[in-house]
Amino acid sequence: MTKFKEYFAPTVVLFLVCLIAAFLLGATNQVTAPRIEQIQYDNEVAARKVVFAAADSFGDPAESSAEGVKTVVPALDADGKVIGCVVTAVTKGYGGDITVMTGVDADGAVTGVSILDMSETAGLGANAKKQSFRDQFIGKIAGVTVSKDQPGENAIDALTGATITSRAVTRAVNASIEAAGGVLNG
Amino acid sequence: MAEKKVSLGKEFTKGLIKENPVLRLVLGTCPTLAVSTSVVNALGMGVSAMIVLICSNIVISLLRKVIPSKVRIPVYIVVIASFVTIVQMLVKAFVPALDAALGVYLPLIVVNCIILGRAEAFAGKHSVLASAVDGVGMGIGFTLALCCMAAIREVLGAGTFLAGAQDLLVLFGNNVLNGFNGFTLIKEGSALSPMTVFILAPGGFFTFGLLMACANRLAERSGKPKAELKGCEACPMAGSCSIRADGGACEDGKEEASA
Amino acid sequence: MTAYFAILLTAILTGNFVLCKFLGICPFLGVSKKLNTALGMSAAVVFVMALATAVTYPINKFLLVKNDLEYLQTIVFILVIAALVQLVEIVLKKFMPPLYNALGIYLPLITTNCAVLGVVILNVDEGYNFAQSMFNSVGAGLGFMLAMVIFSGVRSRLESCDVPKFLQGLPIVLIAASIVSLSFMGFTGLVEGLLGL
Repeated sequence: MTKFKEYFAPTVVLFLVCLIAAFLLGATNQVTAPRIEQIQYDNEVAARKVVFAAADSFGDPAESSAEGVKTVVPALDADGKVIGCVVTAVTKGYGGDITVMTGVDADGAVTGVSILDMSETAGLGANAKKQSFRDQFIGKIAGVTVSKDQPGENAIDALTGATITSRAVTRAVNASIEAAGGVLNG
Repeated sequence: MAEKKVSLGKEFTKGLIKENPVLRLVLGTCPTLAVSTSVVNALGMGVSAMIVLICSNIVISLLRKVIPSKVRIPVYIVVIASFVTIVQMLVKAFVPALDAALGVYLPLIVVNCIILGRAEAFAGKHSVLASAVDGVGMGIGFTLALCCMAAIREVLGAGTFLAGAQDLLVLFGNNVLNGFNGFTLIKEGSALSPMTVFILAPGGFFTFGLLMACANRLAERSGKPKAELKGCEACPMAGSCSIRADGGACEDGKEEASA
Repeated sequence: MTAYFAILLTAILTGNFVLCKFLGICPFLGVSKKLNTALGMSAAVVFVMALATAVTYPINKFLLVKNDLEYLQTIVFILVIAALVQLVEIVLKKFMPPLYNALGIYLPLITTNCAVLGVVILNVDEGYNFAQSMFNSVGAGLGFMLAMVIFSGVRSRLESCDVPKFLQGLPIVLIAASIVSLSFMGFTGLVEGLLGL
């Protein structure tokens, strides 16, 4: 009996606790998983509207083979004609991956940029989410540069103290413009 | 198991100031430093940790008579980790912006020494009600300390206060409080610019140091000892430390908490 | 290879776990008083981090992800780490007493070291493959060691300083940590610059 208490009881209790915990987690997951997916979907749809305000509706997302580019969604006007596309690209920032959504019109110019997901330093890289930074990209064409590296018409100003983040976002935007060009012209 | 009589009021208030987990017991320093970059993040972290703390305190207190002492640490860890995961899923589903802001620190509530520390030092030895009240008090104390630090860092470092409030208010519906999204104290492009270093890592240590100095001064006035990392090679994890669980070296520090 | 080297350097310098990510602050403040304890603790951390990654990576990939059980990650990882630490302690005690005497006493403290769970979760979040995960973990551990060693040096100087009364004790330690962390910010951009990324 003492043997039972010494070796068996702890094992059984630990096992039972784990079992109950796993069941509880499974149940919570059942409830929350669809909602989490829905939120991610909603966010993406809302972001598309922001980066391509001129579009009336959006077509079906297509996978892209271009490096760093995740999906390309055609933007349609009221008649269902393709007037540009919204590209989601992933790039390596300072604190991990940055997911950037870029709207590109038929002329290959940027209509808007939105940061979907990032884990950059608060106060420095995280400022990339600010509108004043993102709006710099509007109207820019392929080959956007960071003015610190290469000033010019097609350059944006880097965020103070976050050159790496600025370069990363710029890289994603350039990849997006290229991918969009391939889809729109091809 | 003889239970000490405890006054619920006392159990509640001790966590707020006298035994504030962050400033007096020096527990949970990692999340304190990491998420106190804005008041909204701090509030979200504080409340998440508080929910986990209360739930785990209640469950562990309920189970205290059936858990063999040999496996009590693993059982505590399982209980806490389950609640953390549940909270994590709920936050993801209902306050998505907070999940993005807290990132890896949300699952890391599991190893927050406050929670395991309270389980070991208090909930495993006291009644359900007392443990729940202890959880509420400690949770509020943690949240208060966190918000206090975040307020200093956000105002000085970003020039805002309660920025991104909608991220939390989303719980109560869209655009409550007329879409209140915090105050901007230093406008962008004005002559003043915020001292960004305060929301960066060094500013975190610095603010925490000064806050600790203030707390020590206050404690000294009322004749209490300074907050120190005590016992067990000055390990603040003494409460959850298995050396101590084996009846080993460190007996001080946490004992006072349950006395 | 450059990519792996970049992960390693980032984990040690620019993304230092203690000074930039605030993971593992408790042992950083608690065990950094003397150089040899700081070294012992951080050696144990490097060891456990590498081991934990090596064990949790296959568990995550072949058990959790395959069965759509990603939501069990936190609970499984912490249990694996806790069990692993106990196991290592027993094995070392029995078969390698000298090593046990050097590292063993720090092992129990590591279970609740958030840097260990942190590195494992971050590896999954970043979507690293096995080799990348190992580089990241070892780098994180070495970064922890670097921070501990530097800080124990700072603290030994601090002992003989005349510190204003209201800052004595923990406050001055935190402020010293702040200055060390400030110096680490100087590494910003180093990895990109060095490796031309």
